[in-house]
Amino acid sequence: MACRLQQVKRLLNLILLISLIVPAAALLLIGPRNAENLPPELAKDCVIVDYWEKWTGREAEMMNMIVDDFNRTVGRDKNIYVRYVSISGVDRKTMVATAAGVPPDLAGLFDGQLVQFAAQNALEPLENLATAHGITAATYKPVYWKGCTWHGHLWGLISTPMAMALHYNKLIFLKNAAALRQVGLDPTRAPATIDQLDRYAQVLTQYEPPLIAGPPRIKCSGYMPLEPGWYIDSASYFFGGSLVDVATSRLTFCTPANIAAYDWIRSYSARYTPLSISNFRSSVGAFDSPQNSFLTGRQVMEQQGPWMANTIFNQNSSMSQFLVPFALEQHLPRVIRPFNYQWHVAPFPCAVPGLDNVTFVGFDILVIPRGAAHPAQAFEFLAYVNRQDVMEKLCSLHCKNSPLASVSASFFRTHPNPFIEVFDTLAASPNAHGVPQLPIWPEIHAELSTATEAIYLLAESPADALRHAEAVCRRKLDHYREIDAARQAKQPNSQINRQPFAP
Amino acid sequence: MTTSRPNMLPYTHWSLATNLLHAPRFPSSFRSGHSTLLALLALVVISIGLLLPFAWMVSTSLKTTAQTTEDPPRWLPVPAVPQNYLTVLNHKKFCFLLYARNTLIVASLTVLGTTFSSALAAYGFSRIRFRGRSSLFAVMLATMMIPFPVTMVSLFNIFHFLGDRTGIQFLGTFRPLWIPAWFGSAFSIFLLRQFFMTIPDELSEAARIDGCSEFMIFRRIILPLARPALAVVALFTFMGTWNDFLGPLIYLQRPEQYTLALGLQTFQSQHGGTEWNLLMAASVLVLMPILMLFFLTQRTFIEGIATTGIKG
Amino acid sequence: MTRSERKNLLKGLAFISPWLIGFVAFTAIPIGLSAWYSLCDYPLLQAPLYRGLENYRDLWHDAVFWQVLRNTFYYASMALPAAMLVSLGFALLLNTPLRSQFVFRTIVFLPSLVPAVASAILWLWLYNPQHGLLNHLLACLHIPGPPWLASKAWAMPSLAFMSLWGVGNTVVIYLAGLQDVPREVYEAADLDGAGPWCRLWNVTVPMISPVIFYNLVMAIIGSMQVFTVPYNMTQGGPQRSTYFFTMYLYDNSFIFSKMGYASAMAWIQLLIVLGLTALAFWSSRKWVYYQGK
Repeated sequence: MACRLQQVKRLLNLILLISLIVPAAALLLIGPRNAENLPPELAKDCVIVDYWEKWTGREAEMMNMIVDDFNRTVGRDKNIYVRYVSISGVDRKTMVATAAGVPPDLAGLFDGQLVQFAAQNALEPLENLATAHGITAATYKPVYWKGCTWHGHLWGLISTPMAMALHYNKLIFLKNAAALRQVGLDPTRAPATIDQLDRYAQVLTQYEPPLIAGPPRIKCSGYMPLEPGWYIDSASYFFGGSLVDVATSRLTFCTPANIAAYDWIRSYSARYTPLSISNFRSSVGAFDSPQNSFLTGRQVMEQQGPWMANTIFNQNSSMSQFLVPFALEQHLPRVIRPFNYQWHVAPFPCAVPGLDNVTFVGFDILVIPRGAAHPAQAFEFLAYVNRQDVMEKLCSLHCKNSPLASVSASFFRTHPNPFIEVFDTLAASPNAHGVPQLPIWPEIHAELSTATEAIYLLAESPADALRHAEAVCRRKLDHYREIDAARQAKQPNSQINRQPFAP
Repeated sequence: MTTSRPNMLPYTHWSLATNLLHAPRFPSSFRSGHSTLLALLALVVISIGLLLPFAWMVSTSLKTTAQTTEDPPRWLPVPAVPQNYLTVLNHKKFCFLLYARNTLIVASLTVLGTTFSSALAAYGFSRIRFRGRSSLFAVMLATMMIPFPVTMVSLFNIFHFLGDRTGIQFLGTFRPLWIPAWFGSAFSIFLLRQFFMTIPDELSEAARIDGCSEFMIFRRIILPLARPALAVVALFTFMGTWNDFLGPLIYLQRPEQYTLALGLQTFQSQHGGTEWNLLMAASVLVLMPILMLFFLTQRTFIEGIATTGIKG
Repeated sequence: MTRSERKNLLKGLAFISPWLIGFVAFTAIPIGLSAWYSLCDYPLLQAPLYRGLENYRDLWHDAVFWQVLRNTFYYASMALPAAMLVSLGFALLLNTPLRSQFVFRTIVFLPSLVPAVASAILWLWLYNPQHGLLNHLLACLHIPGPPWLASKAWAMPSLAFMSLWGVGNTVVIYLAGLQDVPREVYEAADLDGAGPWCRLWNVTVPMISPVIFYNLVMAIIGSMQVFTVPYNMTQGGPQRSTYFFTMYLYDNSFIFSKMGYASAMAWIQLLIVLGLTALAFWSSRKWVYYQGK
């Protein structure tokens, strides 16, 4: 009996061994090779530009289309071939390669990293190349151009931007019209001030009893700074404050406007209790799913970007077919389309009277690392991406707004988001703000996030948390200045003509 | 801090020898039937718990995209979609066979290199008494305790430097991934050294008296006895290389060179949503060879570490 | 040095020469450089600037550094004993004479093969306060479950509990150690009339104490290097309560661009692990029984 078992085991082992070795050998001998598959029609003296991008999945595919377009047209004329590598974690790869002196010709960075890289002398200044291609400050909307420049130099050009606005569920507004009118609010319009936003939220929030014990559960949330919470750091802009004084590069965490902003965030935690908020957030689905809180109507108002149109169309297109079915709504004239929608977009309200069209902008930026082998050819691709038609195509594919100052009528007409004009106006507004341009922004941001967490978990008061965070960040900034000065003293012929930090 | 080498009692060597020559024997006679039944019950319960992650993987791999984002999620996808596996194999961006071949090349070279060089070094650290041996061994142990991020950049620089000086290209090829393996790995050396230290000195002494060179003793006597431990080292090294992400990320330049761990990133997206079902299906495919390898070497495996004499 | 000593030295060096060359070429230089970087300000994309012991002084005054140290030790204090006990228990169970042992042994090893991302998703769901299995089971018992990973008090214990799924490697090593206990010792204990618990405590454990010791040392080294799981699941929250030492080191290296600071952290980690290992070796004289010593 045991002998039989042994035989079976031995046979099994043999089968396993064969099924491992035979495919492995086959793979090694006749499997696909990893030789470079450059297109055969490339000229011998073609310049190969290495472009490393941090996207994966769908975003990567879309940029791949643009790269192919370039290679087919301008690239062929000018003998340039862009070799596109897109994988997450590529910023680590870029850092290591640049530190070793073998950087790619083009790299994709986040907006928050740009000044960090530029301050470390790691990027090629592009203003000369840009002017030669006719790209100047007038090409971009002011906030985006400001984001790409620092200390008098242009450090990169944008691949895709975003702007943030208030998305609200008009159907739920209308369903609660009576309750809203009772407190003097208009159910057919978006809230115009932060105070109104709070009052809308209060009326529209519905509770249900807890499952076992504890605070009541939130069935439907009118508004919650933490849902989705991606732009919670920009709250101060809507109160007329700013975390960093750009002119002097000084931290201004504790101004009354900023404290008011964080008090506002705190007020929601105080009203709902942190436990209810955390339970609510864990009970809603992922962003890109039909259980998205906004899509299921569990969140009435939220801050989102222009890609939301895509998400709604993909995951819950019923929100866009009030009168006419979704399949036909794209053929409606653009003026009429919003009437077909449950969801609407408006500028996010402000707390300061007279301040309007405030938004937070972000972007993905393409840079040329210092020491790149072919900066001029790399810039050809950058210039191509920033050509109006190409940029509009890319932004349309990504369902984002355009960073360029001039936007064609066809972009508005054919853009998948029918509210794109709102985003465009916001992005062009003088009250649009991007990430603060500090060389150590990632560190400061981490400290700020912890302070924000302490505030919305009701662990610390806004004044205390901000004061503590500012003290820590000020120490870090002072330390950075000291070291920067020491470096400048040691290498006075640094290629960047930079103004020293204000004391 | 140096490991002291104990004297093994003779009967341990005898039991060692029987271990090596016979199938593993269970300490059988003293266990009663009741406790065996209890043990079985406990094992079944524990196994259900431990199977959760793997069952989750497989269940997600058989779902449609819509089912993956269901909340609360379901365990049994109905209807199951085994076509996900075909989609993964025929995927435009995720070239399974190409990546598998790349990973196989790197993994084979790494396993061969690690096993061979670690065995040599372990022999030196255990079977030859020389001055400074314990200090060098302590240094080797210490190298296991430095985290990789801080040495990564310097290592990259070294390969860049070597490439410049020798004219052989290192960056952008597989070479930085498997060349260091041919110079030994601290963990493998440690493990093999522990094992070698349990083999009786008398065997070596007898061979030396007979006039064998050290290398012959190594090849003819120690290595055959060490086959189980070598299998262990080979398996662990293979597992490590198969799943390595950071190394290939830093050193490889072209998508055609990607290994499986890098390729899995294809299914993840920033704002577009991750295709969980395809990602899990791909992960199951990536996991299969290691699982089969483990199944295969299980007996040698257990036996192997048994006679590693970790108690030394 | 006598002639035979010199011969042995040459032979020894010859055998370890692959490791030695590799050490000099690929390991010593990066490690030496990291020691140098720990004395510099090194933003990775610029040259290192010598600053003396400034990094170490800054670490001493860095509240986050002490917090991550506390967190890591707190985690280790829970995860280490639990893992040691659980893995030994599993190994004893897997050592009972059953025909289907090879299936169970594979199952124990399986979780360590599941990729971290898949595991993270599963556990995020299990720990989900609203829909998760855990709170669902607790609700059946009319106990309101805490928000687990979103709760400052429960996040770390949750992670420690999760780590038990990765005991596969340790179990295999214990199994091997158990196999190697000679039959005669058990039979002698049987003859003396020892019950199962007595046998376990007085025979099995001492006989495999060297194995326990080896696993302890490996666990100490591993506990300082916890990174992937909390990085994927909690990102250090809430309020840095699951922010581990290696996560802070990684953030300093790549996100904050403070490689010098990270190198100083790395060397402190090395010293801590060496210290703990030395402590383990010193204590081993008390409880580790090497046969024949």
